[in-house]
Amino acid sequence: MGTLKDILSPFSVWKQVLKEPVTIKDPLNRAGSDRYRGFHQNEIDRCIGCGTCEAICENEAIDMVGVASIASKDGDSGLRPMVDYGRCCWCALCVDVCTTGSLKLSNVYTWVDTDPDNFRFIPGIDKKPWDNAEKGYVKPDNYELYPLERVSMDHLHPEERDHSFIEIMKGYSDEEALIEADRCVSCGICTATCPAHMGIPEYIKAIRNKDVEEGLRIMYETNPLPEICGRICTHKCETVCSLGHRGDPISIRWLKRYIADQVPESAYADVLRQDSVEQNDKKIAIIGAGPAGLSAAYYLRQLGYQVKIYEKLQAAGGMMRYGIPEYRLPYDQIDKDVNYILSQGVDIQYNVEVGKDISFSDLHKQYNAVYVATGLHQGRSTRIPGTDHKSVYQAIELLRKITNNEEIEVAEKIVVIGGGNVAMDITRSLARMQKEKYGKVQIIATSLEAEGKMPADLEEIVEAREENATINPGWGPREILIENDKIKGLKVVKCLDVFDAEGRFNPSFDESEEAFFEADMVVESIGQGADLGFIAPEFMEQLEKDHRGRIMVDPLTYQSTLPWLFVGGDIIEGPDVIHGVANGHKAAKGIDLFLNK
Amino acid sequence: MLENIISELEKQFQLEAVDHNSSDLVFLTIDRDHAVMAIDLLKWKFGYKHFVLLTAVDFLEEGKFQLTYILNNPDTKTDIGVRVRIDREDANMVSAHHLWPTVATYQRELKEMFGIDFPGSPRLNDPFILEGWEGTPPYRRDFDTKAFAASFYHQREGRTTNDPATYMKEKLYPNE
Amino acid sequence: MSKKEFFPMDGDRTKYPEIKSDGTADIDLSSHKYIKLWHGPNHPGITGNMAVELTLCGDEVVEGITHVGYLHRGFEKLMERRKYIQNFPLVCRIAVPEPDYNEYNYATCIENLTGIDVPEKGMWLRTLTLEMARLQGFLMWIGGMAGAIGFGTVGQWANYCRDLVLDRFEELTGGRIYHIYILPGGVRNDIPEGFKDRMEKNLREIEGFMKDIRRAFFDNYVFKKRSVGVGYIDPAWVFDYGIVGPNARAAGFKHDIRKNYPYAKYAELDFEITTAKDSDIYTRAFLRFEELLKDIDLIRQILDKMPEKGDHISKVSNMMNLKIPAGETYVRSECTRGEYGYYLVADGSEYPRRVNVRGPSYTHGVALLEKMLVNVNIADVAQLMVSLHTYPPEIER
Repeated sequence: MGTLKDILSPFSVWKQVLKEPVTIKDPLNRAGSDRYRGFHQNEIDRCIGCGTCEAICENEAIDMVGVASIASKDGDSGLRPMVDYGRCCWCALCVDVCTTGSLKLSNVYTWVDTDPDNFRFIPGIDKKPWDNAEKGYVKPDNYELYPLERVSMDHLHPEERDHSFIEIMKGYSDEEALIEADRCVSCGICTATCPAHMGIPEYIKAIRNKDVEEGLRIMYETNPLPEICGRICTHKCETVCSLGHRGDPISIRWLKRYIADQVPESAYADVLRQDSVEQNDKKIAIIGAGPAGLSAAYYLRQLGYQVKIYEKLQAAGGMMRYGIPEYRLPYDQIDKDVNYILSQGVDIQYNVEVGKDISFSDLHKQYNAVYVATGLHQGRSTRIPGTDHKSVYQAIELLRKITNNEEIEVAEKIVVIGGGNVAMDITRSLARMQKEKYGKVQIIATSLEAEGKMPADLEEIVEAREENATINPGWGPREILIENDKIKGLKVVKCLDVFDAEGRFNPSFDESEEAFFEADMVVESIGQGADLGFIAPEFMEQLEKDHRGRIMVDPLTYQSTLPWLFVGGDIIEGPDVIHGVANGHKAAKGIDLFLNK
Repeated sequence: MLENIISELEKQFQLEAVDHNSSDLVFLTIDRDHAVMAIDLLKWKFGYKHFVLLTAVDFLEEGKFQLTYILNNPDTKTDIGVRVRIDREDANMVSAHHLWPTVATYQRELKEMFGIDFPGSPRLNDPFILEGWEGTPPYRRDFDTKAFAASFYHQREGRTTNDPATYMKEKLYPNE
Repeated sequence: MSKKEFFPMDGDRTKYPEIKSDGTADIDLSSHKYIKLWHGPNHPGITGNMAVELTLCGDEVVEGITHVGYLHRGFEKLMERRKYIQNFPLVCRIAVPEPDYNEYNYATCIENLTGIDVPEKGMWLRTLTLEMARLQGFLMWIGGMAGAIGFGTVGQWANYCRDLVLDRFEELTGGRIYHIYILPGGVRNDIPEGFKDRMEKNLREIEGFMKDIRRAFFDNYVFKKRSVGVGYIDPAWVFDYGIVGPNARAAGFKHDIRKNYPYAKYAELDFEITTAKDSDIYTRAFLRFEELLKDIDLIRQILDKMPEKGDHISKVSNMMNLKIPAGETYVRSECTRGEYGYYLVADGSEYPRRVNVRGPSYTHGVALLEKMLVNVNIADVAQLMVSLHTYPPEIER
């Protein structure tokens, strides 16, 4: 074993004596590598306080705390992450999971302080020397802890749908719903923005657990119209979804529809298990079977009240049935939600117009409380010259007739005035009828608002164009030209801006830029108003109103200045279904509070 | 190759479940009384002479422990996981230390961390990882590590956190 | 008292002390022939925080009992109440000098049970980190081995070399010790520009030091005198005691998981299994030294063969909600100490039902060490422990 070489060999490394030492002379100022995971940086304005960093932190090093300078608002909880460096292990999973990309780790890792409590602070709020450090760990490209792309829903292609009223969106399959539900990070930012404050992360979690029945129960806690809202909700929740900051927001609306679609109507009673409500003998009258009326009826029944709805038309649903076209919301789906509500013991009388068939004061006498939710069913007119022609229609009237299968005029060339969802509904409905009647579509929708600023949902505009309707926004209607008692078309001028400097509705025009849309028929769709003529004057006088003549109600109970009279639905806020659902629910609680005082 | 061994084993033992994980890893379940015999056979007859590990899995809801013995045949480069389901109450298992002396260490750990008895295994009751531990063996699922840590260790004071949805409700719509 | 009486078994030392029928040694502490000595637990050499309770007769160990638990955090149990993704910062702590094997095994378990694919480049980057981990693990071990018998300077050089590898880890992963780099589907970050050149520079410097370390330590009369023939592992023990890795290879067992069960990109790399015979302390030490040099070569091969372009990680479902269907799997890889394995049992929930870590030190550090300590001179205990290369956290987990 041992040789002479083994004795001499070790001496050959004496040369190391001459080498420079490799010790780092100033370890406190050694720069970390470009990707080093050091102390946190948080871009406070980008952060929305969604708390996913806290959720993924396996060390429980992060607390979500309120910050005085940041108010809670839609899409921002107002909380910010506070890091306890006694627990942080610098794994940076919080950076990877951050929905907005505001969180980073700087490459600064040396900091000396004698007080341990100083090692607990809110990055970005409590100023630190490394706040402006440029290097450090940011989430690498091409790497995500969750998919950013939404699962698209199977739907009818334009050529399949442009001549029929069959529902366009086909709904998610089980697999698609699971993948989409899986994307949710369960932060709960959406709940505050939803007017009904639905338990969104909870019902999405139920999908992940493959328990749609639990999902349905969660939805009915705050919304008794899930099939309907699952199709046509204005989904304000999705606009604030935390995933929307770097990718597509979760398809909350379609997931809601998925849950409701999975449970057959016949199973609702078993699933929701609501027969054991304690009844009382107090009676409530509800005027109008729209979303607000139905929602109030449902929640009043849950509280044991005897409810009767008076509906002017021949079926329940209000604007959901008589405004929204069938290709967006099929009637059988409305029936599914409505039937379940009615099955809870809600009495409903159709074809009864309050003020005509039964007087308002009779209702006051017969019932302990009255809830008015008659909605906005009176179309507004532009009142430009020519609007009194017989071929000038109100969109809302035409839509009602289409629902009722009544004959309506479908001209070869049509102009629709308006850029909201109702305008898109009538444009697309008429386009379908034109296609059927003439084999081609010649319909133009025009609005004051310029491209990109139209109030209609973007997907409505895109789909209308796919169906060959022309959307030509940014024009102010001036006159409907009539020759020999026949409409020739609509004269418009360029609209520069809809609002003035103070943000009030006050359109400005460039009169020099004119255009002319040829048409045989004009449809106006610039908004609807309420018709409250049925409220007898002696009561109307006692109601407090705002400067625009709208009835004032308590924002929590929807109680008017007449204590027994509650008002809700589109008359008060919206207009959309989910606000109606929400304020119907609140009115039910308000009525309960009033009657139990 | 593994199929042949399994069919050989099936001649002698009742295999309750056979799960092929891949072409060279299979898990099979044998009853408590025959498992060590099967392991013996696997070692001496089929060349599964490398003892990879022995561990327990607590299926609290079912009232069972699963013991998993993973054996490796270095010549065929295949692995067999032998699973045994034993009752959680009065948990005990036939010792396998006579097959590989090192198994005694695993069994000592399982006694300490899961409370599973292996009668006859050397130094079975000597403390292994813990010192003076009393109460529920800590690796059982009914032992709550979080509650233990919360009561046993000092917790930093003054820490509170907020759930975003609840906080927003308090701030934006407290009365709804 | 005659010498014969005091050392009744002088001659055949292996029969001393006598073993009773119950398998324990016949040691009567009240006879004043023995003393108890606790070796550790204050980090005796590079073996980490474990203690050996020695019973000495003169300067000869007659019984050694391993005590672990000084680093016990209950990793396996903690993992059961953390989501799958949350365990990555935890698993790396089970083997401090070579965290990447934990990340790799755990990630591969998840991938096996969920079917997540790893892109080509991600696999190469995994192989790179695994080899870098082996290299720095061996370098740290040299420090311990040399330190255990008084060659502190050699230990300093080796640890300086390890720091060079850590610099590259820092650059690649953002962390020096805990990299948290391997995640389900690939690796977290792509390789930085110019990495290969900087690595090559480091490897050359390390090779330079290795030449000196060979001259100063391995071709050293003192080291050879102390270690040759000491701490012998009989090839017959290999399976009885679950001996793996260099400890087994030095006893002639030609077994390397990288070669026999090729994982990651090892099938595309050119290397041979290092073996030796007569596994004594010197043989094992020198075998590790040879493996270290091969690792340097492997890192070069990996950097040469790694494609420049390509994804480093595949698209995965939401890791925060990951549920793994009921099932179990075992994944092994070859770390510096031998077979490192993860046994994962999933029950369909978002949390693992059970994770069991098979650290090679589990068998080496307890049953084998206790056997080998008997009849060893007290002065050789430290180098014997280091020559088995144990990491206590993987024993107690």
